[in-house]
Amino acid sequence: MIRKLFRGENTYNFYGRRRIGFTASLVLVVVSIASLFIGGLNLGIDFRGGVAFEVPAKGELNVTTARDVLSAENVPASGVKIQTLTSATEERVRIQLSDQTPEVVEALKSAFAEKAGVNSSEISVDKVSSSWGRGVTTKAVQALLVFFVIVSLFIAWRFEWQMAVGAFASVIHDIVLSVGVYSLLQIEVTPATVTAFLTIMGYSLYDTIVIFDKMSENEQRFAATKASYGDVINVSMNAVLMRSVNTSISSILPVVSLLLLGAGILGARSLSEFAVALFIGMLFGAYSSIYIAAPVVGLLKERSARFLPTKGHLSVGVDMAHLIASGAPVGRRAQSRSQAGEGKAPSVAEPAASVDAILSHPPRPRKKSRR
Amino acid sequence: MSTRRLWAVLLLFTVVVSGAFVANIAADNTPSLGLDLQGGASVTLTPMGEFEDGALDAAVEVIRRRVDSIGVAEPEIIRQGNTVVVNLPGVENQDEALALIGRTGAVEMRPVLNIVEQQAPDASPTTTTGEQTSTTLANPTGGVGESRRLPSTADTDETIPAEPSNEETPIDDGVSVPLAAQSGVPTEGGGEGSGLEPGQTVLPGAKDGLLYLLGPAAATGEVFSSDASVQVDQGAWVVTANLRGGAGGEDLWNSLAARCFAGGADCPSKQIAIILDGAVISAPVVQVPSFSGSVQISGDFTEVEANDLAKILQFGAVPVNFDAPTVQSVSATLGKDSLDAAILAGLVGVALVLFFLFAYYRLLAVVAIGGLAISGMLLWSVIAWLSRTNGLAFTLSGAAGVIVSIGTGADSYIMLFERLKEDIRAGRTLRNSATRSFENSWRTIIVANTSTLIGAVILWWLSIGSVRGFAFFLGLSSLTSMIAVYFFTRPAVLLIANWNRLNTRGVLGVKSSQVLGGEKS
Repeated sequence: MIRKLFRGENTYNFYGRRRIGFTASLVLVVVSIASLFIGGLNLGIDFRGGVAFEVPAKGELNVTTARDVLSAENVPASGVKIQTLTSATEERVRIQLSDQTPEVVEALKSAFAEKAGVNSSEISVDKVSSSWGRGVTTKAVQALLVFFVIVSLFIAWRFEWQMAVGAFASVIHDIVLSVGVYSLLQIEVTPATVTAFLTIMGYSLYDTIVIFDKMSENEQRFAATKASYGDVINVSMNAVLMRSVNTSISSILPVVSLLLLGAGILGARSLSEFAVALFIGMLFGAYSSIYIAAPVVGLLKERSARFLPTKGHLSVGVDMAHLIASGAPVGRRAQSRSQAGEGKAPSVAEPAASVDAILSHPPRPRKKSRR
Repeated sequence: MSTRRLWAVLLLFTVVVSGAFVANIAADNTPSLGLDLQGGASVTLTPMGEFEDGALDAAVEVIRRRVDSIGVAEPEIIRQGNTVVVNLPGVENQDEALALIGRTGAVEMRPVLNIVEQQAPDASPTTTTGEQTSTTLANPTGGVGESRRLPSTADTDETIPAEPSNEETPIDDGVSVPLAAQSGVPTEGGGEGSGLEPGQTVLPGAKDGLLYLLGPAAATGEVFSSDASVQVDQGAWVVTANLRGGAGGEDLWNSLAARCFAGGADCPSKQIAIILDGAVISAPVVQVPSFSGSVQISGDFTEVEANDLAKILQFGAVPVNFDAPTVQSVSATLGKDSLDAAILAGLVGVALVLFFLFAYYRLLAVVAIGGLAISGMLLWSVIAWLSRTNGLAFTLSGAAGVIVSIGTGADSYIMLFERLKEDIRAGRTLRNSATRSFENSWRTIIVANTSTLIGAVILWWLSIGSVRGFAFFLGLSSLTSMIAVYFFTRPAVLLIANWNRLNTRGVLGVKSSQVLGGEKS
């Protein structure tokens, strides 16, 4: 199979199996939304505020031992911000963490005092507000809405409106599923998570547009033939499949490295959450370009006047190979279709040659007069 | 394109980019890192004297507004107990930022004498009359005058009907706006040759790109009580502010309102400008001669604009004054170990990608490696230069933006190489297919990157904080990778294709057994 992929001899029937993708996605989207309503999101200190301790950096107290104190008191380390504050006269450690019960706060206070060797009255404990102001969220949501509208218009102008709908659906799908994973696993949401979601959106959109570009190219190529839009999608998908696979590999490799090396071995926790979000999101992005974006466009385009007569016809296997190679549907089915129009019971085509034979022996390309 | 020209493009581009890279290193311009990666300065503001609890929250919002206007450097503003903590990335050139944060922001009301569009000094000023403008002021409890719902000043273009009354002289009695004032620099009146009466000033609008000629300050935000609120009235957003009783509140406001309603020489436009931080936030037209109890400001506000205005009125009503800020240096939230881990992981990741490309595309991968290196150098140079000149700071969210573009950048090469392979398998020679393949994939690269760029520009323009940082670096790095593809990859691929000795399929890892239709290589 890999050999076939490498040589570009793959003839997978993506469009014919669209229902599997739609069903799987629908289930996941429903689960995500349900989880979001039931469990909500685990928002970090940047969104909800919390408590801040300021402890003189004396005795054994520094950023590392402060972290140890937290883990000794069973306070989850994710989302905690520990910084040193240096002024001309003294050095202090500022520890910010999400809201805690008064008992935990007291216990932490005395533990910090003990580590620093100071009286606990020298430690200041204050409530802190969120650093991620409401304005930031409102502005970001507004910006995203404008972004969707303008990019949809751009796609509609450059390609067609059906593709704008498809791109829109797949990007929303990716974001909903990524947020759903965060809600289901109750992973803490930090500003880095938000950026990770934006990153996912960027990837998903890019990948989708590359596939759309191929689809519109093939639509023109098959303009004179009776190929159905499902065929256009299948041919395009198979053509860009190797690129999609390679691109996904080369995009995910750095993330995997960040996940395993940065977070796993070197123990940078804040990075691991970022890498997890990216990893999940990129997988969804690669999946949705193939199983959401293109089939949605297919469903819409099949209703257009040009493709309505051939709606539901798909050249699979050998027929698809002929289509890829020659640029026109062949085989008895397609011929009967083109002669008698639709509505005739299609006769079963005799597999004339194997897929390999057709795709590895393409006719010599017609000589084009050079301009 | 001739071989010679291809060489010229390739060499010139490589030299220019390497030159910029070396120049930045020589000038010791390095990208400055953000709060999360490098730390910076932590500024603590402690309020002076008595203050209301809600007033401090309003002050936090106003400070956030100011700090966010500085740029893309992603500052952090939190309220810690009864103090406001502002964390600023980087440690150089903090003075300007400190001056901005520590400034006491009083909200002022001034009568509007004239409005001009901000334009080049040599153009003649276009004047608009107050009547044609904007937001309106009405008294919701008392007899409301005609409550016209005209578009707000905030939405410049459509609203101020560009009515290019070509009259050189502004409509009001002889007060012409001096040319110097049109440059957007606030000018206080009274100085020799400024052409302004004492107390008059010219201030820019906060959003509308207009210049306002304003009379002396007639009241402060303290005429209102601190409960300005936002409602929907007849399908539009309105801001309602209650007036304080007595001489310092209702009476003061009404004397200003009466003057402006009369439209005399000291307030010909009938507009009152609400000013914060040297910018006109809103300039509503007075609809009734006197107000009792409360003032309603209506116009074509969006919800956010209405909320902004209400917040400013709340802040202006109970201004919080701060002691001199104390500054401490603050360490990175992510910590040195995280940064080192991220850099190491990033390098290993890039190495893996390059190894993968090499294993898959053989010799042509050299082009990809060169292209990625060139675009990396270009990106580094731009970031380093902007860090030095504009106080740009590279943050984790910025890194995310760059990661996206490394992925999409590698994709450009993969797309091109897949096209080439497709063509070679179909029997074309490398020389034959190179131009065609490049043209085909360049079209796709342009479309896909344009949509990324559109997205980045919109997010940068409309959002604040880390989203803005992400958008900035995403846009910048998409741009540099596109430039590298066109000026480096294109000539490099075409030159390799023209190179006779290399014109074999092994270059791409396509075995000749797979090629049909043109066995001779």
